[in-house]
Amino acid sequence: ATASRIDVRGNQRVDDQTIINYTGIRPGQNYGPADVDEAVKSLYGTGLFSDVSVTQRGGTLVVEVSEYATVNAVIFRGNKKAKDQQLAAAVQLQPRGTFSQAGLDQDVEAIRDVYSRIGRSDVSVTPQVSEVGNGRINIIYDIQEGDRTKIDRIEFVGNNAYSDRRLRDVISTKRSNILSFLFRNDVYDQARLRADEEALRRFYYNRGYADFQIISSDGVLNDAENEYLVTFTISEGERYRFGDISIDSTIPDVNGADLLREVDTEQGDYYSALEVENSILALSESVAGQGYVFAQVNPRGDRDIANRTISVVYTIDEGPRTYVERIEIRGNDRTRDYVIRREFDLAEGDAFNQVLVQRGKRRLEALKFFESVNVSTTQGSQPDQVVMVVDVVEKSTGEFTIGGGYSTGGANSGPSVELSVTERNFLGRGQFIRLAGGGGKKSRNYRISFTEPYFLGRRISAGFDLFRSTTDQKKYDTATTGGTVRFGLPITEALSAQIGYTYKVDDYDLDDCTITNSSTGANTCGLSNFIARDVSKGDWHTSAVTLGLTFNTVDSLSKPREGLYGKTELELAGLGGDASYYKLTARGQYYALLNQEYDLAFVGTVGGGYVDSWGGEDLRTFDLFRNSNKIIRGFEHNGIGPIDSGDHLGFQAYAHASAEVTFPMPVLPESLGFRGAVFSDVATVGGTPFSGVDESDGLRASIGVGIQWDSPFGPLQVNYAEPLVKKDEDEVQRFSFGIGSKF
Amino acid sequence: CNSTDALSLKQEFKQGYVIDEDAIAATPVGSSREQVLLSLGSPSITRDFGEGERFYYISQIRQRSVGFGQRRIVDQRVLAVSFNDEGRVDNIANYGLKDGRVFDFISRATPTGGRETTFIGGVLSGIGKGKPSLGGF
Amino acid sequence: CTSTDDADLALYVENIEPADRLYNQGLANLEAGRMTEAGRKFKAVENQHPYTDFGRKALVMQAFTQYRQGQFDDAIQTAKRYTTLYPATDDAAYATYIAGLSYWRQIEDVTRDQEETKRMIQVMNQVVTRWPDSEYVDDAQSKIRFGRDQLAGKEMQVGRYYLERREYLAAIRRFRYVVENYSNTRHVEEALARLTESYLAMGLVDEAQNSAAVLGYNFPDSQWYKDAYALLTEGGYKPQQSSGGWLSRVGFGKKSEG
Repeated sequence: ATASRIDVRGNQRVDDQTIINYTGIRPGQNYGPADVDEAVKSLYGTGLFSDVSVTQRGGTLVVEVSEYATVNAVIFRGNKKAKDQQLAAAVQLQPRGTFSQAGLDQDVEAIRDVYSRIGRSDVSVTPQVSEVGNGRINIIYDIQEGDRTKIDRIEFVGNNAYSDRRLRDVISTKRSNILSFLFRNDVYDQARLRADEEALRRFYYNRGYADFQIISSDGVLNDAENEYLVTFTISEGERYRFGDISIDSTIPDVNGADLLREVDTEQGDYYSALEVENSILALSESVAGQGYVFAQVNPRGDRDIANRTISVVYTIDEGPRTYVERIEIRGNDRTRDYVIRREFDLAEGDAFNQVLVQRGKRRLEALKFFESVNVSTTQGSQPDQVVMVVDVVEKSTGEFTIGGGYSTGGANSGPSVELSVTERNFLGRGQFIRLAGGGGKKSRNYRISFTEPYFLGRRISAGFDLFRSTTDQKKYDTATTGGTVRFGLPITEALSAQIGYTYKVDDYDLDDCTITNSSTGANTCGLSNFIARDVSKGDWHTSAVTLGLTFNTVDSLSKPREGLYGKTELELAGLGGDASYYKLTARGQYYALLNQEYDLAFVGTVGGGYVDSWGGEDLRTFDLFRNSNKIIRGFEHNGIGPIDSGDHLGFQAYAHASAEVTFPMPVLPESLGFRGAVFSDVATVGGTPFSGVDESDGLRASIGVGIQWDSPFGPLQVNYAEPLVKKDEDEVQRFSFGIGSKF
Repeated sequence: CNSTDALSLKQEFKQGYVIDEDAIAATPVGSSREQVLLSLGSPSITRDFGEGERFYYISQIRQRSVGFGQRRIVDQRVLAVSFNDEGRVDNIANYGLKDGRVFDFISRATPTGGRETTFIGGVLSGIGKGKPSLGGF
Repeated sequence: CTSTDDADLALYVENIEPADRLYNQGLANLEAGRMTEAGRKFKAVENQHPYTDFGRKALVMQAFTQYRQGQFDDAIQTAKRYTTLYPATDDAAYATYIAGLSYWRQIEDVTRDQEETKRMIQVMNQVVTRWPDSEYVDDAQSKIRFGRDQLAGKEMQVGRYYLERREYLAAIRRFRYVVENYSNTRHVEEALARLTESYLAMGLVDEAQNSAAVLGYNFPDSQWYKDAYALLTEGGYKPQQSSGGWLSRVGFGKKSEG
């Protein structure tokens, strides 16, 4: 049939031409029933019409439509915690879209969902629809947010090896407490619950409970109190130890026997999934080292239920010979391609070796430039070729921090403020740049730092610092300006060397005090002659080279439980400039976990230092060690050692040792992140280049307690130390407080 | 923990094709193209310009004496398998490290477009995303 | 309790102005360079008179305004909404073109992810294939050429990264990729020169000569050929002058399509 004219009826807003376009039928053009169906389907497809009919009446084709009301505006009222923008993104009915009752009901649920994700599942949402004429309506959502839905209690059923309290420390969902608004970890959320189940599994698998299972984990909402009770029902099963450990390799000249020492898992120890994983990595690394790059290591554990042991057999066999055809890097909108590519010791065309891939991934994550790094592989152009895809999600690496602090040590004790601008991935080149300024009541300091992690295309971190600081002591002021050039040279994964050169100028002047004899330093304001003599020397140039060696196998920076940290440094001043001395310092820390059950951690520290002049100038008081508060708690900065007319001059040599045990705070809920500490320090100081001075050398000892808090602003530490063995003229300081990491 | 490996200095990296002597022995002159692909695997690269088809299997061994050192090439082997018109191997050649020549590469690069982050842009863009954190208290 | 001004908010509706007046006000603001005002006018037309002819035209003009203001993501969203609502109109070509331009303006330098370049090529290809006779085809094609050049540039950048580290196999494969897939971009000359360098560094002299011969055959007066030639002659070799048979099969650059 053909229609000479097309007549459109029932449309208010959509104009005829648009509707005719959608029917796809032209006046005078021949059309059949199929075209009519097509027209109806496409008109419905626009979603604008609630019903459509296309009929032939005489010579004209009549298209009858009735339009849905369209949404003019979507308004949210009463929402404070969730912004309009956030809610607008969650709802489907958008301005200019078409209205439907089903859509409205779905949007109410969507809004409730947004709120329950931020911990306010007791929100009430009442929708209102109001006509605004011309077939258009406004949607208004009235929201009563109610207050935060808290988590009242977290309970465990079926745990007898570890207390509820210990398990609560393992999971990330925490009970609500006064500081929850800060940590925001008391929100009941399914995804977090799944993650907690995984954390519990790993915790038990790593401590011998190979049969551990989570029977159920859920949260029951008590509407009246608007609080959740979260319960984990678990079955621990038997605790297994390792049976015999063996390696069987199908690769001819790789024999299992001498690889045994590479393996962490030892017979008799408690079974641990982590140790098995580490052993696999270690084995594949050493086998790859012998040239068998395609070798694959798979563990096979067989249980012996009777005497509860699991014996593990590591099978090593020749895996498929796959090569990396291409390495694609995606998602790096700011980081340069080479900054990511260079972290892999793997190039295109090389054999696909899991160990190198995992090591590269760990290195990328250690850069802390990315929210997430994941490496996946897709089939290459040949069966034995693979394309490796590195997907990164970048995070903000710039920080503008306003830091306040109250330190009781150092020359400028008391309150202090610090402003700093830091960019850890400058221009996406992986470079670190920081501008910092700050000061206290009696001091100012400024510092610019820059580091290039890959100097000359090698793993050498080269950088420089420029610094200026002024302090006014009780009787004299000092101003130091200088710069350092430094290089970090990694030798192995654990051992690294540091080389640096520093040039600085110290400038002193006396406050309302005159020196009567500059060679002896006698003065009118009772300042020790030796200090006065040094001050009277005016500006003092120091040009020094520093050589350092650091050994670090500590498992984690924020929660160290195992490992060794050692650092020794030699500062050689005298290549030009006025000062000429050599200063040797060393410090070692040993971390060990005393008890798994109560997470008791031990840290033992030993250290020492010696400074002496060589060649020209002899030592000044300012060249001596004064960090007495760092080597033994309970004493003031520059508060012990050689003393002259009431002023401590600093000491030439010191040795110290400390033993400290930390434990989760018993009283406070563990979700706050507080730990208690008990420690005892011992130190001996002495040696002075000046004659006729009370050396006041010998042993000092103190014991004390402390509180450590892993706060959102950085690790905080408050210590109370009681000196047991001290000299009368020592300046004691029982309370000390500070922010900052331990290394 | 095996602290020995934490102190072992010299690290060796095998890069490119992993040579398997008896696989090479299994593809003498005269063997077919499929035999070569089966035993030696797909070539690192094939000749694209020039007469006749040729497979190249390239492997390098590098050593790094100390963590921050350069990864120096200590051995480089190229196995060149050439085929005649019937697709049979008619020559197998080996090139070693000594055949290579060391020279500086051309430093020019063909210019490309796209937005470059400027100094200020670099510092600010990083901060723009991060919320200012209140250090200390 | 909802405050008073909230109450009439429920009944709030913009006073309806005739579509054409609003639309022309938008155009006037656009000419005068008052972008935000123009955007607001076009948005008003589209709000008050959806699915009308003026509403349709306002939507595409809104996309253009957003593009001019540098709000590229919004411009792309608006352009996409236009092409889904009004696929058959000839303004759809313009809307797709605006989306392509918005991606083009966000292209990063070659050391970063080239996601926007790939999207731009894809969108501009739509302009060329679906509206071959639209006035935007020429510029779309030139943007596609720029995009391909950019992608070739990224391959070269990674190739040079591997060459510097003397990882010749990885470098050769990247330069080969450019020669095989981007032979109509400016980078093919450098790729051939780099191949000559890499083969020579590995001691595969005849491959080096072949690459230099192809470079010379197709780009006789390019600086890259002069460098490659100098490199070969230094070592006492010359670019392969043997039977030119295979050479004629390997013509690109000046002879192959644009």
